[in-house]
Formats: sequence, structure tokens, C-alpha cells
Amino acid sequence: MLAFLGRSLVQKTITLFFVSVISFLIIHLAPGEPSQINPLDPKFTPEIVERMRQEFHLDKPLHIQYVLFYRGLFSGTIVSWRDNLPVLGKIWERFLNSLLLFVVGTLLTWTISFPVGIRSAIRRDGPFDKSSTFIAYVLISIPGFFFAYILIIIVVTQLQVPVIGMYSFGIDTASPMVRLMDRVWHLVLPSILGATGGIAVLSRYVRSQMLEIIGQDYVRTARAKGLEDDTVYYRHALRNALLPFVTMFGLILPGLIGGSVIIESIFSWPGMGRMAYEAILARDYPVILTVNFITAVLVLVGTLISDLLYMVVDPRIRL
Amino acid sequence: MNIRRFLIAAPTLITLVLLASYFWVPSYEEQTLGNPDRLTRFITASSGDASMLNPILSADSASSQIGTLVFEGLVDRDEQLRYRGRIARDWRIYQHAYFYVNDAAATARWGRVDAPTLAARLRDEMARDDPSWNDIEAVDLAPAETATRTVPLPDAPPGETVALDIQAPARIRLTLDTVDPNLFERLARLLGVDYFDTFDPTRYVTPAREVSQRQMTALARQVLPATAHNPIIEFYLRPGVTFHDGRPVTAEDVRFTYEAIMDPRNLSPRTPDYEPVQAVEVVDPLTVRVIYSRLYSPALGTWGMGILPAHLLDAAALRAEANARGEDPDTFGIRQSGFNRRPVGSGPFMFQEWRSDQYLRLVRFEDYWEGAPNYHQYVMRIIPDPLTQEMEFYAGTVDDYNVLPHQVERLSRDERFQHFSGTSFGYSYIGYNIRRPPFDDPRVRRALGMAIDTQKIIDYVIYGQGERITGPFAKQTDYYNHAIAPLPFDPQGALALLAEAGWRPGRDGYLQKEGRRLAFTLITNHGNPIRKDILAIAQDAWKKIGIQVETDMLEWSVFIQRRVNRQDFDALVLGWSMGIEPDLFQIWHSSQTGPFQLNFVGFEDPEADDLILRIRREYDLEKQVEYCHRLHQIIAEAQPYTFLYVGRWTALLDRRIVRQITTEDGRTVQMPIEPTITGGYTFHFNQWIKLPQAPLFDLQG
Repeated sequence: MLAFLGRSLVQKTITLFFVSVISFLIIHLAPGEPSQINPLDPKFTPEIVERMRQEFHLDKPLHIQYVLFYRGLFSGTIVSWRDNLPVLGKIWERFLNSLLLFVVGTLLTWTISFPVGIRSAIRRDGPFDKSSTFIAYVLISIPGFFFAYILIIIVVTQLQVPVIGMYSFGIDTASPMVRLMDRVWHLVLPSILGATGGIAVLSRYVRSQMLEIIGQDYVRTARAKGLEDDTVYYRHALRNALLPFVTMFGLILPGLIGGSVIIESIFSWPGMGRMAYEAILARDYPVILTVNFITAVLVLVGTLISDLLYMVVDPRIRL
Repeated sequence: MNIRRFLIAAPTLITLVLLASYFWVPSYEEQTLGNPDRLTRFITASSGDASMLNPILSADSASSQIGTLVFEGLVDRDEQLRYRGRIARDWRIYQHAYFYVNDAAATARWGRVDAPTLAARLRDEMARDDPSWNDIEAVDLAPAETATRTVPLPDAPPGETVALDIQAPARIRLTLDTVDPNLFERLARLLGVDYFDTFDPTRYVTPAREVSQRQMTALARQVLPATAHNPIIEFYLRPGVTFHDGRPVTAEDVRFTYEAIMDPRNLSPRTPDYEPVQAVEVVDPLTVRVIYSRLYSPALGTWGMGILPAHLLDAAALRAEANARGEDPDTFGIRQSGFNRRPVGSGPFMFQEWRSDQYLRLVRFEDYWEGAPNYHQYVMRIIPDPLTQEMEFYAGTVDDYNVLPHQVERLSRDERFQHFSGTSFGYSYIGYNIRRPPFDDPRVRRALGMAIDTQKIIDYVIYGQGERITGPFAKQTDYYNHAIAPLPFDPQGALALLAEAGWRPGRDGYLQKEGRRLAFTLITNHGNPIRKDILAIAQDAWKKIGIQVETDMLEWSVFIQRRVNRQDFDALVLGWSMGIEPDLFQIWHSSQTGPFQLNFVGFEDPEADDLILRIRREYDLEKQVEYCHRLHQIIAEAQPYTFLYVGRWTALLDRRIVRQITTEDGRTVQMPIEPTITGGYTFHFNQWIKLPQAPLFDLQG
């Protein structure tokens, strides 16, 4: 167990190093350079552009830039080129905002997918299974931004309440209960939208897992010995069907920092996805690379966690 | 069965909690009508967040929009685009002009004379009752002097310098009460046509080490120019103007702002405007004198720059801030300062709060010298999506909305709102690489322009929200020459012109000359649907008269770096945004045709060059306008660009917003908001207020 942990840590550190090099190179290979000024603005002389490059160390060889960047990252001194604010502080602030959406979205996804998937599997080819399959495909196919617009227009014009932002604008003077519920309300639409794709996919996945398990010999045995249907499905079958999903928990981790560009932009949500997207457009390397690096760390930690979880839930596996 | 119950109960519970929250949310009704404070707040939406709230550092539109409310400059432009004083209550523009006494040449009027005599003679001449010398106030003699200066070596790698020993001869200084770019031409009548040209500065300069003859000449000309104009602007500041923290705005703050812009550590994108400034002198706390090293007529306009409070950003303040934050004081500059997140200026609104990517809130400055604005608060909400911006505007939680071209038709008839529209500053064009055939022939360029139906582009691509344009000046200014007619849409005429240039239809239907087909590639950048449409329309129009055109779209940075900067293109679709100033040097002067420069089409014309320099140096508006009209004509005749259109913007405003002023006898008068001659409607923003009901007077946007 300890040997596994040690081995895995070494491997993952090496992977992380390569990820950091490759992501650094890819960003620098992409055409275009960061600049706070527009190269086509008549007022700017090449000297100013050159001075900007020097300030950002862009005139130095790539390996020096690499060292400078990661030294800055680990000492926490790295600042965004756009507004000179510390990158880690910026990310932390947006992370907390995105986290809310992520948690509610994930809760919705996981709590809804299971009952729907299980029921579809048990009543295979029944009307519920057919209609849920149909709805799942509709939800998978509909473009997120379009669905978002439709929902916004319906809610705003029919219910006459605000939906964008993290809370109603100018609510600061209301009572704490109103403020709390107002924030919850502003989570509803974006998290529903964030969850739809997940629900559609995950419920299909639960269904097929259940179907596979239900067809197993031990399930037939359990039934043959006269157990109730519910006991067979929810105690014997479900437990085994859950195995692959337990490991998926670890893989959710990187989603923490991802955020959704489209949903956050449409709903004016001050989250990670929007910040990273704007950083990419502005070629704000420190922000892009830091988000990239943190994501890589979370992916690696996530795989480690799912390995460990698998070991916990499946005693047959010994690492 | 517990598990089963749990599986059903969990999602139901979560969904119920989420949906129940609906009953607590304030409706739009409560937020707008049910809230009396709402009337004293102006809420606007911006699609992008601000970056740095410091006028010398920021270049993005959201930061500038906030910057103009929080900060104030010395001057700005009034409704008629004339300059008016803000922090400066008045100003005076005059000049010092210098020339070195040329002892190698005889003067035309007095023969060969020594320096003191020349000065005395000139003084006598000016003192006579000759109206042509009325503007000369004084003639002084600066005696010969010696100096040592280290300057960068021309035609050498950057960083290489040379020390010069200078034995400057006597110099005569004339003080004028205006700025006259032609002063030395006038003086040549007295001193002789070659008097200034024959002055040989190399005789007075000794370099510390060996340099080539050419470098020597360049160096000597640089340190001892035969003639020099030093225009001067003296600003008289308004007494009693204070920053938001109560400290008075003084001449020191003006000098500090200038120094902050020019400090290389601050990397200010504003430096080009102030590069001709030689010195900023504080005469007394309310008088500041700006001396320019050369004629530079856009100078006054650059002082619209917001003035920074020196006491919060000078070296001592920055050091204290760095120490307080535990950072290295040596690397801590204005760029690092927390000032950029909570600025202090002297404008009509004070900064209050900034939530990144959410909103920025300003409150009115009660002690604003012109009287506090009517609105108590100004809020800029960051709403990136245009559709949600529109929804919030309809709901009344945002007060203005910039209409997209395709919505104008629908919304301009909407009775619920006031609407305003005007011409934008900027134009779209097709530029031709004049260095390459067939574009080296002006007839071909003109024919290409005549083959395109520009009116159709305006009608269908931008939904009629644009106007034809014929030249490089802002259409709503006097500099634009309205006498020039746009190119007609005339494919037959185009064919005739092309035939004149030697391009005749071949057997395959394509135009040919000396066995070569008329073929080229038209490019533009990705991500701009309008340019993409123009690309297709131009390709189709040219194909119809027998020109083979390929089109290509490139990612913006590739487009700029690989194609535009390296001049590797045939023709391109692009746009320029511009200001009011008529300075065309970077885009049209023949010295700017190199790689990485902006005259990438390679336009060269001696008369145009001369006019461009004159416009820059001419302080007299009427003459400037005259030069601009001629320049406009030259460019329109040469057609280095096919000038397409300038866009029109439309904005909607809540109908209840009016202008409200208190007259001298204490009455409150309300009047509709009316656009100024440039179409801008926010000119009187400080007098705006929102009423509970739409007013009775008939508002016509």
C-alpha cells in the first residue's frame, strides 16, 4: 500500500513535469503574443511594443521564461498581465464562485441520474425507459447556449424575476433569509443547465450497468431463492453496479476548476471558466498556465483517489 | 426499502429547495418601481470588465469609461468640439523660436554681422511698425556655450553611445505670442534664403571617438539644429478644484502625471502623445508651463488626460505602500499599486466598489467644482452576453442599451425608449499592396473600387447602419472633405479603366495583360462576420468583370504578424478606428512604409507627405482644415484603399431619464436629452436624472 503510494507519487510528479513543459510550449507555439496594446493602433511605436515584451520577459529564450514562470508560480508572486493582480488570488476568488455551481450541478446530476437509470433498467423497454431514452438524447443534442437562452427568455418574461449574476443586483439591503434564497435562486438555472448533459449521459450509463448486473447468474440465484424484487435490485445488484461510479468520483475533481465558459458568460457568473477564456483571448499567459497547471495537478490527484477508492470498495483488488 | 426511498427522496428534496427559492427573489417590479433609490442610480452594462482604473495605464474601453468619470483632465471638448477648460480655467499658447548665428553666411539685409549686432538689428526691425512682425514679442541673444553630451549613435546597434564635446555658437531667441510654423521662412527675407541651410553644425561638435562622416553629420544636426520651434502651452488651473480625498489639484500633480506617463517603468501606452514634450515646469501652484521640443499641433488635446494625485502615487507613497504590503520597494511601481483598484481622481464621481466580473460602483463627488451630478450613483454591471444585456434593459435593471445593427429597424420604432444614433469614429476599407502589380496602377485600384456596389454592402451586411466614406478623416469633423463624391458603382466604367491600363478580356473570360491573368488574393482576419461578408461580396463583384480572386481568412495574430507586418498580401479588408485629431502620419506618410509600420499598403506621395507634416505642425484650425481637404483629395484620387463605409451606432435609453438643471433663480427645469453635433448624447451626463414617470414633453431622439 505504502509502496504503491510512493511509486504513484513519483510517476505523477514526472508526468506533471512533462505536462508543465508541454503546456508551456503549446501556449508559446500558438500565434500571437500578449500585449496591453493593439499592434494596429497608430499611436504605438515598435519601441513601446518591444519594451512591453521585455517587461514580460518575452524577449528571453523559452527555457528561461519557463524557469521564471514556474519560480513565480511556486513562490506565489506571479501576476496577471492584464491587471497586475496576483494570479493565485484571482483564481481562488473565481474558484469559490464556480464551486457553488459545480456542487449544485453535481448533486443534481448524481441524484437524478441514479433513480432514472435504475428504473429504466428494471422496466426495460417499458414506456418510462423509452421516454427517458428519448429525453436523454434530446438533452444531449440540444446546444447548451440555445437551451440557456430559451430558459432565460421564458423565466424572465413569464416569471418577471432576474436570473443572471450570482444574486439580484442591489439586494445588499434585504434580510439575510431573502439574500440566501436569492442566491439559491440564481443557482437554479445555471446548475440545471450544467447538469442536463451530465444527467443524460450518466443515467444512460447507470442503466447499462444495471442491465449488465441484472443479467448475472447471482442475481438469478437471488431471485430463485425467493428474495423480493426490491432486495434483489437495490441490495445485491445496485451495490455491484455502483463499483465503476465510485471510481468516477475521483475523476470529478478536475471539474472543480474547469467551470463552464458558455454558462458563465451567458449568466454573467464571475467564475473560473469565464476568467480562463478571457485570459486565453488576451494571451494572458500567467493565468492560462496557472489554471492549466492546477488542472493537471487535480487530474493526477483525482486518478490517485479513484485508484484508492477502487481498492476500498472492491476487496479483490490489492495494490 | 430504505435505499429506494432515499434514491427517490434526495433528488426531490434538492429540486424542491431550489425551486422554492423563487418565492424570495425580488421581482423586476420590486427592483425598479418599488425602489425609490433606483431613480438616483444610473446603471449601465459593459460586456467586459475593467482592467486598471488608472488613465495612464489602461487602454480598454471599460476602464476608460470609468476613468472619464473618476478622473478629469485639464481640458476637454465641448458640444461643438471646441476645447474648453476643465481643471485648467484658461491657457495660453505661444512659442520660443531659436536659430544659431551662422557666421559663414552673410545676411541678405545687413551683410556679414556678428551675433550681438544681428540681434540688435533684428530687434530694431521687429520694433518698427510693420504689421508682419507684430507677433514677435522679444528678440534675445543666448551667448555661445560649451557642453558635453552623451547621445545614442545613429546607424548603430541600440545601446551604443558616443560622448560629444559641443562648442555651440551664439543663438538668437525670438519670443512669439502665437505659434507660427512659417517663422523661419519669413525671417529668410531678412537673412537670406540659404542662411539656415548653410549653417554647418559639424564645425562645433567634436566626438570623443572616431565616427563616420555620415554619423557625424547626423549627430551634429541632432544636437545643434539650425532652427528650432519651441511651442509652449501655459495652463492656468482653476482654484478650488480638489481630489476626492480633499487635497487640492495643483500644478505639481500635472507635472507628476506627465512624469508618470514618461517613466519607462510604468510602460504607459500613452507615451507617444507626450514624446514631443521637452519639459513641464511648475510656475506656481496654479500655473503649469509645457514646453514642446517641436511643432506639434495635437498637443492641447493630449491634456484631456486625467490628472493623477501626486501625493498618493509619488515615490514616497509607493515606498510606504510596498513596505505595508511586504513587497520589494525597488520593483514596486505605479503598475503594482493598489491605486489601480481603488482610484482617487478629481472627476464628478468617486470610486466606491469594484467586484471583479460583477460590477463597479461609483458615487457622486459632492465637492465637484461644477456642482455635484444629479445621480447619486453610477454603476457599471459586467454582463458579457448581449441577449441578457437586452433582457435586463427591458426589465429596467439597466438604463441604456447599445443596439446591434440588425435590431435597429425593430427597436428604433419602439415607443418605450428614447433612442439616439450617430456616426462612429472609424471606417472599413479594402487596402491594396501598391508595391505589387497590378495595384501599382491607380487606374486598376479605382476600377476595383468601382466594381463593388458599396451601397449594397451597407444595406445588407450592416443592415443599413453605415454611410459611404471617401477618405481617411472622421466624417463628422471639419477635416473631412465633403466635396469629394464616392466612387460610383459602375462595372462597365471599371472595365474601360482596366482596358486603359492594358487589361483586356481573354478567351477564357478573364482579364489579361501580356499573357498574364488578372488574379490576386484578398485576405482578412477570422472572427469578424462583417469582414467575411465583404470578402465574399468583393470576390463576387470582381469575378463578374473577369478578375480571378482567391480569398483567405486568418487568425488575427497570424494575419497581423505574418501578413500585414511583413507586407505579404495582395489586398486585405480591414478597418481603422480614429479620434478627432487629423494626424495621419503613421498610416499615410511615406516614411512609415517599412515592415511593422502602419502604411503597409505602401502609399507614397510627396505632396501628401508635405501636407501630413504641415497638418501636424499647423496650429491654425482653418489652415489645418484646408490642408486636410487637399490631402483627402490626393488620397481619394490615388485610391490606395477602396474606402467602404463608416458605421452608425444606435443607443436606447429609458424614457424617464431627462436633463434637469437648477437655474440661477433657484427653479428646477427639466428638459429632454439632446444629442450634440457629433451625435453623442452623454455630454450632459452630470445633469441627468430619472423621473418616476415619463415626462410630458415630447422626447424625440
